[in-house]
Amino acid sequence: MTARPLPPIDDDTRAYWAGLARGELLLQHCRDCGHVQVYQRALCGRCLGARVEHRPASGRGRVYSFSTVHRAPSAEFKEDVPYTVVLVELVEGPRMISTLVDAPPETVRIGQAVEIVYDRVSPEITLPRFRRAGASMTS
Amino acid sequence: MRSYRGQVAIVGVGETPVGKVPGRSALWFNAEATRLALADAGIDKSQVDGLVTAPSFVAPFARMSVAVSEYLGIQPTFSNTLNVSGATAAASVSVAAAAIHAGLADTVVVCCGDNMLSGLTRDLAVKALVESRDPQYEAPFGLLVATTFALTAQRHMAEYGTTPEQLARVAVITREHALRKPGAQMTAPITVADVLASKLVTTPYHMLDCALVSDGGAALVLTTAERARDYRRAPVYLLGGGESYTQEHIFCAESITTTGAAVSSRRAYAMAGVDPGAIDVAGIYDCFTGTVIMMLEDLGFCKKGEGGPFVETGAITYGGRIPINTHGGMLSYAHPGLPGGFFHIVEMVRQLRGEAAERQVAGAELALCHSLGGGFATNATIVLGTEATL
Repeated sequence: MTARPLPPIDDDTRAYWAGLARGELLLQHCRDCGHVQVYQRALCGRCLGARVEHRPASGRGRVYSFSTVHRAPSAEFKEDVPYTVVLVELVEGPRMISTLVDAPPETVRIGQAVEIVYDRVSPEITLPRFRRAGASMTS
Repeated sequence: MRSYRGQVAIVGVGETPVGKVPGRSALWFNAEATRLALADAGIDKSQVDGLVTAPSFVAPFARMSVAVSEYLGIQPTFSNTLNVSGATAAASVSVAAAAIHAGLADTVVVCCGDNMLSGLTRDLAVKALVESRDPQYEAPFGLLVATTFALTAQRHMAEYGTTPEQLARVAVITREHALRKPGAQMTAPITVADVLASKLVTTPYHMLDCALVSDGGAALVLTTAERARDYRRAPVYLLGGGESYTQEHIFCAESITTTGAAVSSRRAYAMAGVDPGAIDVAGIYDCFTGTVIMMLEDLGFCKKGEGGPFVETGAITYGGRIPINTHGGMLSYAHPGLPGGFFHIVEMVRQLRGEAAERQVAGAELALCHSLGGGFATNATIVLGTEATL
């Protein structure tokens, strides 16, 4: 099997990946304006304040949109197709890209509740994936 | 309001052969398209003092605009290698117009060419696209560029009831248009059933919902309105331009069904002093079928959410409200990467000159071109018009 692309960690994202490795999804909160953001930055994307801090997220959200990939983008993903890429809207507000696990493509719907699954792919990298969290809720 | 309205005109256009054109480099596609555009304008290369192009996926030149001018044996005093992904086409024309209007150059070649099909294998082309995703927050999850756009279409379907059949209709109509365009890469008619039966790529998109992979190049010659009157072709005037850059990541988009095209087009219409209702023909970046439906809404040709029925009732072809992509677009004419959106502009120039032969939209005086990229990260709109619209 060919190795899938692993995220290259940098100073902005070190704490995020360390959090995932210990089973915590961290979101940056701005202590000045209260903005919550995905992805990790050295400043707040709304007020440019530098007082951003990581707080554990609930790991819950809804399917904002999805697409089931049938044609792998590269050889590394060929044995995974079909898999469902999902745009998750977290209960904290921001959205993030992930993939669904244990979800037959034909059962996926916009608005379904999902929860995080920690997928450890190397000692440093745990990818945040999602699975269905019980019955669908209206969005 | 400061404006380049009516100050700059397109006086020459050129297109290389498209489709599979083996053995030719990205530089050649740029240079050959430029040679043809200069011949069309009836001017010598010595009159060119500016050149704008986009980087190639295949060729390694970091300063592509400089490499192209060297290949052509010219030494411009204005040069720009511009890349805002799919929006590069309309954005390049707009920046060239601005440069001319500001006095940075008198006559600017805007060209773009690449050999995406012959120079890169299909797998490598797709890989090049996937590597343009964020390496930490997107690439590990195996998104195609098509997946980003597919997420927007899926949401549009859920919010507004847009159907797979309506998406497919865009591909069918565009193919009908390509049949009238000599040299188009795709030449066989298709049906809605064909589109829906083609292989799934990334839901809701099938193979025939997606743009082609091609070789090819296009070029335009822009100059001042004053000079344009002495040239052999009827000048096509730049009436307005607008751009919008709303986010890099799809997950940072405020909305994924209303895009920056609403902003870029509003700015272009304002500069041009026209409403969407006045536009006779349009070239809309058609990387995917659903993209076109969303753009028809954001560009103001129909209401938000009504793009699907609008397409279904034949509004985007001859006799309809706004014929689009009369050359067959990137779905059926050619899509060599960044050059893809340039062919729409060449086609709109031909429509406004009245030389589109059996593709001609009768009486076309005002045209719109819209280019976009990166899952609607980038949007650029231009409005073009004949002398009568000044």
